[in-house]
Amino acid sequence: MASGIKDKVAVIGMGCSKFGERWDAGPDELMVEAYLEAMADAGIEPTQLDAAWFSTHVDEFGTGKGGTPLSIALRLPNIAVTRVENFCASGSEAFRGAVYAVAAGAADIALAVGVEKLKDTGYGGLPVANAGTLSPQVAPNGSAPGNFAQLASAYRSKHGVSREDLKRAIAHVSVKSHANGAKNRKAHLQKPVTEEQVLNAPMIAEPLGLFDCCGVSDGAAAAIVTTPEIARSLGKHDLVMVKALQLSVSNGYESQFNAWDGSYFHTARIAAKKAYREAGVEDPRRQISMMEVHDCFSITELVTMEDLFISAEGQGWRDVLDGFYDADGGVPCQIDGGLKCFGHPIGASGLRMLYEMYLQLQGRAGERQLADPVLGMTHNLGGSPASNVCSVAIVGREGA
Amino acid sequence: MDRILPQPTPETRHFWEGCKEGELRLQRCAACAKSYFPPRPFCPGCGSREVEVYPASGRASLYSYVINHRPRPDMGAEPHSIAVVTLEEGPRMMTNITGCPQTPEALQLDMPLEVTFLKASDEISLPLFQPAKG
Ligand SMILES: [Zn+2]
Repeated sequence: MASGIKDKVAVIGMGCSKFGERWDAGPDELMVEAYLEAMADAGIEPTQLDAAWFSTHVDEFGTGKGGTPLSIALRLPNIAVTRVENFCASGSEAFRGAVYAVAAGAADIALAVGVEKLKDTGYGGLPVANAGTLSPQVAPNGSAPGNFAQLASAYRSKHGVSREDLKRAIAHVSVKSHANGAKNRKAHLQKPVTEEQVLNAPMIAEPLGLFDCCGVSDGAAAAIVTTPEIARSLGKHDLVMVKALQLSVSNGYESQFNAWDGSYFHTARIAAKKAYREAGVEDPRRQISMMEVHDCFSITELVTMEDLFISAEGQGWRDVLDGFYDADGGVPCQIDGGLKCFGHPIGASGLRMLYEMYLQLQGRAGERQLADPVLGMTHNLGGSPASNVCSVAIVGREGA
Repeated sequence: MDRILPQPTPETRHFWEGCKEGELRLQRCAACAKSYFPPRPFCPGCGSREVEVYPASGRASLYSYVINHRPRPDMGAEPHSIAVVTLEEGPRMMTNITGCPQTPEALQLDMPLEVTFLKASDEISLPLFQPAKG
């Protein structure tokens, strides 16, 4: 039986570029920005890197396919570079590859970098795709906001929540993320918003208004991982350890059978259960100190609170309104602003989530620092509610 | 921007040929009798390849929907519904509801619907649904 990843790999360096409309930088410069910060943080030389994993989603826009864009941008010493892509969860895949390489003993020190340069398209959302398994049959009529808005219809109907209550709860999700993002100088959006502004914003796909939707950004993020023994030999202490890495992928259950009611993420529940088992977490609501989840839309974040078993089923909206996920709440969520405000450069987002957990665990999150976090969880989703990939990672202190 | 259209494949050609001829075609498994959608050459329930294509009644009921106020770039400028309908034969399908105002008042859950086809190109007619007549 697999023994799991818990405490086998330490994160010794991380970096993250400024996210936003980066007209000043191409994908190469964004990668360099994140990489140099991570390397300075780790205090190592490029020759100490054994292998790298590179994530980018929309390679058509100037970043390119394969491993060469990363290797050339960073002038890596001709080491292995593997490019990975798994929708919006690509960044978590780069991390997973690097961590597994170290755990397997195939690499002493490995690098993960994710990048996306999307704003040059001049379009606010993601490019519309029309290829791949089943998508031409099931999705010729939808849109990203439209597909995720269906969660709200189904959630309301299943749990008997009024439109007004749910609209106010999802508004609070965004108000909270904007309040957090306002304390993050690297964030794409750094302005707080009021509940009134969110409630009165133009409608995108009922009930999701403008502030219920995250945009896309330019940006890059990087992580350097190694074994705890090598980390200590490099003079590191108070290590940030990988506790769990799980990925669950839709197999058609949601889209081809009538058993799924559309109000939750089937994959997230599976990935979360496995991650808690791998990390030895028995009571996530009490044990998880903080989270970064995939808040592509406010309703996604709300139902995810239940899918991760932090809120009881049907009670997530109440916890949100109670401020349980606020910076001063029981389990702070999106401390860095989340996708909503820090931004969403697709290939980098999973690593960006880990970056905040890493800073928080080391007490380096500045104005946003939480009191004494022990375990941080990231939830990185790709695809749509009916067909998706869901990555859940837990990182934490040594001994936690 | 032209509407993004599906491209028929060997597995889905019967479905799109049907739509072109004004007929909604489903598949049914000979082994377990299950009807299913979207089209594929084997049964999603039991894996059997003993499957047949047959014309569906075209009747459905409204299972869920949202109104998309800012449509995808190829979907025009007006708010429109994105709906999940339950076909009389069982499977659910994502579609748009047409032939009625795109408002919560006009779109009542469980309302009876019937299929209608939007001719989008010489090759592709999209199956949409409208309130059932009579
Ligand atoms: Zn069957």
